[in-house]
Amino acid sequence: MEQDNPGSANSEDVRTNEASPVTCPADTDPLPVTCPADTDPPPVTCPADTDPLPSGPQSSSGCEEQGDVPLLENHIQSEETQSRPEDELEAGCPDVSTVTDCSTQREDEILEQDSAPDDVSGETGQSAPDVVSGETGQPANPDGEGHTHPDGEGHTHLLPERNSDSASAEDGRDDSEEFVAAMLARSKLEEQGLGTKGSSPPLAETGGPPPPGAHRDEDVTGDAWRAHRKHVFVLSEAGKPIYSRYGSEEALSSTMGVMMALVSFVQSGDNNIRSVYSDQHTVVFMTQGPLVLVSVSSSGQSEQQLRVELRYVHNQIVSMLTEASIARIFQTKKNYDLRRLLAGSEKILDGLLDLLDSDPSFLLSAVHCVPLASSLRDSLSQILQKAITPNLVFSILIARQQLITIVQEKTVIEDARLEPSDLHLLFNLIGASSAFQAGEIWTPICLPCFNPDCYFYAYISYLDPPECTVCLLLLSTDKEAFYAVAECKRKIEEAMMAQNALAAIAKAHSYSVSQVGVSDLRHFMYKPFDVPDNHRQLTQFTSPEMESPYSSEEERTRLLDLYRDLHSRIHSSSRPLKLIYHVAERETLLAWVTSKFELYTCFSPLVTKASAINAITKLLRWIKKEEERLFIRYPPKYSTTPNPSRSSRKAAEQHDSTDNGFLSLL
Amino acid sequence: MPERAKMRKPDVKVVILGDMNVGKTSLLHRYTEKKFKDTVSTVGGAFFLKQWGPYNISIWDTAGREQFHGLGSMYCRGASAVILTYDVTNWQSLTELEDRFLSLTDTANADCIYAIVGNKADLTESSAQGPVPEDGQGEQESVGTELRPTGGGSSSGGGGGGGDALHQKQVNQDDALALYARVLRYKGLDGMACPPGESLCFETSAKTGYNVDVLFETIFDMVLPSILKKRREGEPSTVDLEDCRVPKSIKGGCCA
Ligand SMILES: Nc1nc2c(ncn2[C@@H]2O[C@H](COP(=O)(O)OP(=O)(O)O)[C@@H](O)[C@H]2O)c(=O)[nH]1
Ligand SMILES: [Mg+2]
Repeated sequence: MEQDNPGSANSEDVRTNEASPVTCPADTDPLPVTCPADTDPPPVTCPADTDPLPSGPQSSSGCEEQGDVPLLENHIQSEETQSRPEDELEAGCPDVSTVTDCSTQREDEILEQDSAPDDVSGETGQSAPDVVSGETGQPANPDGEGHTHPDGEGHTHLLPERNSDSASAEDGRDDSEEFVAAMLARSKLEEQGLGTKGSSPPLAETGGPPPPGAHRDEDVTGDAWRAHRKHVFVLSEAGKPIYSRYGSEEALSSTMGVMMALVSFVQSGDNNIRSVYSDQHTVVFMTQGPLVLVSVSSSGQSEQQLRVELRYVHNQIVSMLTEASIARIFQTKKNYDLRRLLAGSEKILDGLLDLLDSDPSFLLSAVHCVPLASSLRDSLSQILQKAITPNLVFSILIARQQLITIVQEKTVIEDARLEPSDLHLLFNLIGASSAFQAGEIWTPICLPCFNPDCYFYAYISYLDPPECTVCLLLLSTDKEAFYAVAECKRKIEEAMMAQNALAAIAKAHSYSVSQVGVSDLRHFMYKPFDVPDNHRQLTQFTSPEMESPYSSEEERTRLLDLYRDLHSRIHSSSRPLKLIYHVAERETLLAWVTSKFELYTCFSPLVTKASAINAITKLLRWIKKEEERLFIRYPPKYSTTPNPSRSSRKAAEQHDSTDNGFLSLL
Repeated sequence: MPERAKMRKPDVKVVILGDMNVGKTSLLHRYTEKKFKDTVSTVGGAFFLKQWGPYNISIWDTAGREQFHGLGSMYCRGASAVILTYDVTNWQSLTELEDRFLSLTDTANADCIYAIVGNKADLTESSAQGPVPEDGQGEQESVGTELRPTGGGSSSGGGGGGGDALHQKQVNQDDALALYARVLRYKGLDGMACPPGESLCFETSAKTGYNVDVLFETIFDMVLPSILKKRREGEPSTVDLEDCRVPKSIKGGCCA
């Protein structure tokens, strides 16, 4: 992974550290631990400066729960001379309940974040503002959304002009609408670009205006509907329902009307509604062109994370229609019912939302590769490299939602690569089409990160029916190329047969954490981002099977939630952290981000900080040793395109052909 | 599907067209696997090779958005049979066939045959609900959402209107026959030279299997002459399909 072999460097440092904690120069510098994740650590003389592990875990106590405090406090105190950063860390995760009871804390966090840095420095005498203040001006805009106002964000009253009596009294309203209205009643609206910093009066009035065109014959959806952990709604700017994760869009049209009323009310003041917080729920709004996406979540995820998820939902919709088409459709007809074009695709969105909840690839924005002997992976890549046809641009082999190998057309690779998020959409599409195990699929698909306005044509076929675990995905820029591309599949199938490759792939599966040989380590996720020749092409991560005690669905979700929480704090836009040591009730977690990797580890609850550090050192060494197997190191290329410009990002003209068709649909 | 598609060249091409959710995928699934189960929404087009006796028949199942993506002509190019599918409980699905899907067939073979299929007959015809006569196994995985009506479900008032759309027959056989005649006219085909509408208008139920095998077997029988013709002419069977850059007018021209 790392060029300078940090695995072993680390281990030595750690030992050195344990023996005499004050020896490492890096220890005296608090910044490696707390500086914003996107900033490189300031120059530090320690050769291991980019790997602050030695100073990190020992010196910092992120969020420790009461039970463990005495022990850890001793531990911390003993290191206090060299561990001032811990206080900052402490401040970064204000208290344990942030973790265990995020929903109640979150509101406070948000409301206090402007003043928090001052508190921090007051408490600790540290120069925390240096570390965090740069981010606090625009905490709600971590993902580069277009509507950041330079004057920062504030909190204001929302006073929808409506008649509240009729809204709550009307019996025609469905539960869901009340649900949203009630949620809003208890919540504060966070608005951007409005008001003054720090002022956060509660939402003064509930609900919204009676939604235009509310239907009276809605389903009453009841408690079960409300109890869902995460709702996602997509609507058009005209307030037309496009998608709801649970319940039919028709039944929810008035709920969506309320949402749209909120959005447009705020927009009428030249602002964008971004999020609403209540005791149990976070509501995140995202406007993307003519579409409005809303997430109503009680999952405890950060707004930033929910926003990323909404972006995935939007991208999946774009993948089916292209951004240009969506824009043109709504230009032509403002209240077009987009479900006419998406009908039948709900299951693809459903599948995506399930994956978002269960697959950490999305959280990490990285691709999970099937661990495979590099010789086998290479020979599979060679098979793909040989089975080519004009205008074929990507050949991808997938097993159980994990990547085996990806081969790319040469001219494409020069000016582009597939982003993990585009790959995730493809993987989801494959999952959603598993009914066609025996057939070969040919479908237009737009890859929004690559180019949101034109289509690739995807050939999807399983290589091992009826098991259907190994899937071949071939992307062409020529919509007529099905038979030529299908012929490539036959060649690939034949070559794989000759090498008995399917059997070899079948034997390759996820590894057990026990292979790492560290007894207290239960699970981890490791994402390198400093691998030469690798990350420029594809961001990957590796992770073992989730085994006992995380084998049940419920426990798996719980662990993922813990990871998500660590992730949100590591990537907090206001106070990004480099290292979090979190002692939870049933496990201890350590998250650590350096300039070279991002690592999340889960230990048994009895682990000590010292042994956790030791374990991580061993883990890093093990990953280093196994990296050939765990990661795709050199994605190969081929050349298929006689006229290179055809496949380049800008020259794809495929979407023109849709013009002929789509207008007549309106 | 037990047999693999590997290395087999299709002899003939059949395309299933029709609006979303009329049951195209379910029909194909019923025919190939003798089962009805909740299908996953079709993504783009799905290509199947069906071994029919000594012949390989390729079947394209489509998603219903072909026009939007401009892919309809690709799926239909060189087709020997097009199955235009509607939902008997949904008048709109019949009109869509004419409005949106018929023009996609311009790239089909000149001697292409057209079948008009009203699916979900189990929702309106008691005769389509019973145990499946022509499908020996008749096993039924009723994972589907709608339950068919238990009584009085076979009302066949045409034209639609109010009432429970699921159980109300909105399209009658006569409507399908009329559409068939219009299809022939659109294609410029001589009604006398073509198979009569009665033999190419079907009401089916993918759910119960009613008429499904009859539908596919009838169509395969009817395309047999074009299979044989093609084999006789020694034309490599794939040229027709693979030579994608042949301007469509070559094939569509004869229809006018
Ligand atoms: N009652 C009934 N439902 C059907 C029948 N065929 C399909 N369906 C249901 O109609 C829906 C759409 O079917 P599908 O095959 O996906 O339609 P497609 O979009 O045309 O491929 C599914 O929920 C099926 O279960 C049928 O013959 N009878
Ligand atoms: Mg279908």
